[in-house]
Amino acid sequence: MMKQILSVSWISLRSLPQRLWLSLATILTIAVVVAVLLAFLAMSNGFRKTLEGTGSDDVALILRGGASTELNSVLSREDQAVLETAAGIAKNNGEPMISGELYVVVNGTKKTSGTKVNLPLRGLSEQGIAMRGPVTISQGRLFVPGRNELVVGRALLGEFDGFDLNSTVRFGATDWDIVGVFETGGTVFESELWSDLAGVQNQFNRGSSVQSVRAKLTSPDAIEDLKDFAENDPRLGVDVISEKDYFKEQSQSTSDLILVLGWPLAIAMGLGALAGALNTIYTSVAARARDIATLRAIGFSSLSAFFGTLSESLALSVLGGLLGAAVAWSFFDGLSTSTLGGGFTQVVFSFQLGGALLVQGAILALGIGLVGGFFPAIRAARLPVAMAFSDR
Amino acid sequence: MPDTPLIMLENVSKAYRKAKSEISIFDQLNLSIKEGDFVAIMGPSGSGKTTLLNLLGGVDRPTSGTITINGERIDKMSESALSRWRAHTVGFIFQFYNLMPMLTAARNVELPLLLTKLSRKQRRENVMTALKVVGLEDRAKHSPREMSGGQQQRVAIARAIVSDPKLLLCDEPTGDLDRETAGEILSTLQMLNRDFGKTILMVTHDPEAAKYAKSILHLDKGHFVEELVTS
Amino acid sequence: MTHGTLIWKNLTRYRLRFFLTTFAIFIAFFLFGILQSFDKALDAGAELAADDRLVVSNRINFTQPLPIAYVDRIRSMDGVLHATHQSWIGSYYQEPRNFIFGFAVDPESFMTVYQDDIVLPAEQIAAFIKNRRGVLVGADTAGTYGWALGDLVPISSNIWQQADGSKVWDVVIEGIFQSSRDELPANGLYMHYDYLNEARTFGKDFTGTVALTTTDPTLNDQVAQAIDFRFQNSAYATETRTEAAFNRSFVDQLGNIGLIISSVVGAALFTILIIVGNTMALSIRERTSEIGVMKALGFRASTVFSMVLGEAFGLAFFGGLIGTITAWGLVEIARNIPGFPFVLGFPTSVWLQAFGLMVVLGVLTGLFPAWNAYRLKLSTAFARV
Repeated sequence: MMKQILSVSWISLRSLPQRLWLSLATILTIAVVVAVLLAFLAMSNGFRKTLEGTGSDDVALILRGGASTELNSVLSREDQAVLETAAGIAKNNGEPMISGELYVVVNGTKKTSGTKVNLPLRGLSEQGIAMRGPVTISQGRLFVPGRNELVVGRALLGEFDGFDLNSTVRFGATDWDIVGVFETGGTVFESELWSDLAGVQNQFNRGSSVQSVRAKLTSPDAIEDLKDFAENDPRLGVDVISEKDYFKEQSQSTSDLILVLGWPLAIAMGLGALAGALNTIYTSVAARARDIATLRAIGFSSLSAFFGTLSESLALSVLGGLLGAAVAWSFFDGLSTSTLGGGFTQVVFSFQLGGALLVQGAILALGIGLVGGFFPAIRAARLPVAMAFSDR
Repeated sequence: MPDTPLIMLENVSKAYRKAKSEISIFDQLNLSIKEGDFVAIMGPSGSGKTTLLNLLGGVDRPTSGTITINGERIDKMSESALSRWRAHTVGFIFQFYNLMPMLTAARNVELPLLLTKLSRKQRRENVMTALKVVGLEDRAKHSPREMSGGQQQRVAIARAIVSDPKLLLCDEPTGDLDRETAGEILSTLQMLNRDFGKTILMVTHDPEAAKYAKSILHLDKGHFVEELVTS
Repeated sequence: MTHGTLIWKNLTRYRLRFFLTTFAIFIAFFLFGILQSFDKALDAGAELAADDRLVVSNRINFTQPLPIAYVDRIRSMDGVLHATHQSWIGSYYQEPRNFIFGFAVDPESFMTVYQDDIVLPAEQIAAFIKNRRGVLVGADTAGTYGWALGDLVPISSNIWQQADGSKVWDVVIEGIFQSSRDELPANGLYMHYDYLNEARTFGKDFTGTVALTTTDPTLNDQVAQAIDFRFQNSAYATETRTEAAFNRSFVDQLGNIGLIISSVVGAALFTILIIVGNTMALSIRERTSEIGVMKALGFRASTVFSMVLGEAFGLAFFGGLIGTITAWGLVEIARNIPGFPFVLGFPTSVWLQAFGLMVVLGVLTGLFPAWNAYRLKLSTAFARV
């Protein structure tokens, strides 16, 4: 049986070049559909990976209760003082390791579209920088507190105009010097501008208030102690969340939205491609009707006619899927872009293709191939053997 | 004008260029056929029967020489003039009928009338008349695949005569039919020649079929040998 | 029978092939219609904005505040007719997911500047202005939460806090407004600025943006420049734009949605171009001898040409129209769902673009086969029989 199927498959595949253009068209349409799907998946994946790669689980982020993002939050000097005494916070030379930070939104220009977009300017201390894992200054130097100096994240510099090294930028009535470029290993922080907390508080009229407080925990589990402390202190109305969870939550809605748009689009387009594939394979069955009938007359089974036809369709879909993946890989993988993140500012991320995504692309391609081959294959299996003897 | 022939070929040559060599089909061929004649053209395959028919129908052009049909030089006509000329002057009947599979018998017959200015009602009448002539008025609504070979060929004949051309060109009209059905078709052609005065040229390789014609032309290596049918 | 019948009969001769090809075209035009409508929805905020209103925001970024004193100073400038101001309150009802587009406004000037946009009875306007805790809510918003006139409603803010630490502001529904334009949903909430400002713990005496009308729209550019010039050296330098440009800047934040949409539509159209083009070429190739017969019957080459092209156009328009009409129908259904988050519409421009694409599809898929049919030599056609 297997031998029969293989030989019929071989015959039908050998006849592919006779329908060269039709077969190429089918391959191309499947490739386009797979490439579109992979583009959306890679976009969603890249965004999620960038946000999920940000933040550590031994850093707690403290925001005013109900604020949910740093932008909406405000914490007073008193709140900060109380938090310094909280449980679960690691100490350095007897001082609690906490960082009060300001998060203000400033305008930048997106290079690719020339449109004005929101970018975050973060005011923080050296303690705060140290909490962000290994931070390196790749060009220039770090800001000096009190001198209205900024350092710019590598990703922000690449995606937006207006913050070149050694240039000056004006916020309100104050000029700020860009003195360095920093890298944090591809996290969201690279989409930020950093300056010293006191300077930002001063220039943006925030007095001694901050928007968020980060605290280094003695261990990831210590966050429970901090939460208990915050809940039980009547002076505090704050939410405590691990930094890792904070960014994870932010990634969810946007990356889900991209997925929710991507799959239905790909399925709709896939149905169009399926129609094309069905056309091609039905045409192939019609063109080979006599060959198939002849084989059946010789003694081949109808099952072998069925699989012979199905193999043609699958071959086309595999080629289409491979082509689509290759196109997506060469055009989209690593492509850098930005969108609005949970902080109401731009997050720079890059399209990331990966094994799991390619599997989804393969499923779509093979799905088209299977359905596109199944019905014509049934027709092939049911062809009357007598056709072999008719004239035309 | 019974004296001027309907078809006149003068010094007609036809050669095909194949790769680098030239294959000559006819060289300086002359032929004249009177109006009202029924001529069978016989000859071995490759003798140029079909090419001759194509030349007469304005489907193909001679390499040199003149072809005059019904007083018109068709060898130099433009493509669109030829189209118009064909629509009025010639009816084609093919070995495999060549009906449009998606149209009913009546609509197949109506096809050439789309090229005329006849009203819908007139077209309908002409179609029914043509179908009646071939004896298929009860099959008007049938599609080709619902009819036998002989019936399909009659529809094709009806299509050929519906615009009332003077000349019918038949290419192996019975080549795909059994002896009995072939006889019926040939009788129909005879009737069209006799009762309606159609001039008919019929290419065939079947001597039995050729007997229905008034005269037979044997085509061999690009030359004619005439033979009168005694019947 | 006409030429049209003949074209139709040719198209539908292989039912399955016709169905599949039509379906592929249907999908592409359906996607085109939906995505165009979506794209237009994103632009709606900008396109439906009054073109004679200007918005003043902080030059650093629109999320940065402006001193409340600016409102009076702008109001007194030459060419300014009316001015009002709005502050984002980040409001929600009970749960953060019940999000409401809420602003704190100066009631009297707000009603003057926005009188053409929101529609409600004069006595409700008067009641709203009189009650310091009064709010206006959109009819859609009121419907969603089952609010009626006179209801006392607790509104939470994710930004502002009262001195006692409470984030809840008790307000009274004094007016329920309709939108003056069908395309725009009647949603949102407007409370008194004074009520917010007096009780909040920080950000006092600051506002978000200032909206103004000019005495003559032709003065807009001049007035905008004058405002920005006046404040350029203060700590709160301004940026004055038309309301349309201001609204547009929100959509721009999302990224290049237009590019994504046109890429997807382009990919979908490219796909059907290949599918339909090949199907047409195939079906003309299969009919070589039939086309020969047509020509032998006396059909002119140009007639045969236009019939094949007509077939391609027939396919493009048949599938294209069904797809576009389906997209239109779906958009109509969606926009009538109360609380649907997008201002969807199906403007004439989308129809025109769709028709344009149908013509392009017809030409591109029909031209080549039609040309082949046109120059098909009868002798070759019969040689293949």
